[in-house]
Amino acid sequence: MLNVVVEIGCDFTELLRQHQAMVFSIALHFLRDRATAEEVAQEVFFSLHRNLHQIETPLHAAAWLRKVAVQRAIDEGRRRSRKPQLALEDVAEPAAAAVKPSDPLLSELLRKLIATLPEAPRMVMVLRYQEDLDPSEIAAALEMPVATVKSHLQRSLVLLRGKLARRGIGESGWTG
Amino acid sequence: MDWLEDELRRALARQDAPVGFAERVLARGRREPHGARRWLAAAAMVVVAAGAAGAWRQHQGYEAKREMMLALRLAAAPMHRIQLEVKDITQ
Amino acid sequence: MKTLLIACLAALPVLAAPQQFQLNLDSVAAKSSQHVDVSLNSATLQFAAKFLDADNPDESRVRKLIEGIEGIYVRHYNFKSAGVWTQADLEPIRAQLHGPEWSKIVGSTNAEDGGSTEVWLHLAGNKSIGMAIVATDPKEVTVVNIAGNIDLETLAKLGGHFGVPKVKDPKKEHKED
Repeated sequence: MLNVVVEIGCDFTELLRQHQAMVFSIALHFLRDRATAEEVAQEVFFSLHRNLHQIETPLHAAAWLRKVAVQRAIDEGRRRSRKPQLALEDVAEPAAAAVKPSDPLLSELLRKLIATLPEAPRMVMVLRYQEDLDPSEIAAALEMPVATVKSHLQRSLVLLRGKLARRGIGESGWTG
Repeated sequence: MDWLEDELRRALARQDAPVGFAERVLARGRREPHGARRWLAAAAMVVVAAGAAGAWRQHQGYEAKREMMLALRLAAAPMHRIQLEVKDITQ
Repeated sequence: MKTLLIACLAALPVLAAPQQFQLNLDSVAAKSSQHVDVSLNSATLQFAAKFLDADNPDESRVRKLIEGIEGIYVRHYNFKSAGVWTQADLEPIRAQLHGPEWSKIVGSTNAEDGGSTEVWLHLAGNKSIGMAIVATDPKEVTVVNIAGNIDLETLAKLGGHFGVPKVKDPKKEHKED
């Protein structure tokens, strides 16, 4: 006898409503292009639509969507990688206005700096700071060892701190 | 909390999908050929209408497969985490 | 808590389920916000296996994996916040696994996320006739009993990308650039 009790709630429209921001944002923060991010996000949900019969629970759906969004964003990034990349050093400094904590200019600068990171640490940073995943969750999503995730996080933070410090931006040295 | 991590969370906060995104996805979904889920639902309706034991058994089979995959997925996840941790330690 | 009874396949023969310990987790279930409860005996597994897709690599692995399995019993619980369930809730399970016929082969804890995983083998003499997994984190409890022979490595491999397109290792791909 088969006896199963499973939670309800794998309706596609509901999943789309719940997770569209997550999926779009993963693509946007990784690719830095709204139009491309929307294309990627549409493909992710389209894939969900085709594979909905495999989705067992709402929690599984969220993890599935995150993983597929990561994969599709990485694939799209590689397709575009033939185009010249903006190097970290070439990222323009913020406009003359002083940069302060919680400043949108600082947020924009950080997003640009992250976009210049190599693929793996870039996605690690997105999953850590957008999705608030811990290193073991990121390791599972990207199928890489936890130590590698931690190393990417550490190095990226050191790199970003250095780049910001050279622009006079930091805990003890906000410009202006 | 570390100031840079604070700023990173702010910079990488989720943004809303573009206006009309959901409608565009749903419109595209309606144009797609029938997926397995609709096949299963259609099969169940045929069974109810025609009382065909064979089709019902097939529906039961796919349901049993679905539950088996769910059980294995739930069992496999912690095993995979251990495997990643062992890989982590030995590297 | 949302639950829904999905199916009762009365057409299948009813066999005594060789569950190897009592999955008495009523206190955990009462506190959970969502739960999954699956019990599959040998007949159901063999029946389900007929519907596996031989062209799908994951499903082919599953077919091999379940050849020696006599039953799979899973209880999985999610909680809205940390601190809802306690170790005392798992004592009825652990007390059974401390019996002489069980041997713990893995005990892993993660100080960062508060997660832990225990794997136990059910022994008859020197032969393994089943396994148990007790996996927890602050907002999740999973207890599994698999009766019969199972390849742990294949099971672990399935956990990485079950039902999800495999994510390429960015490190390996990067080397090709």
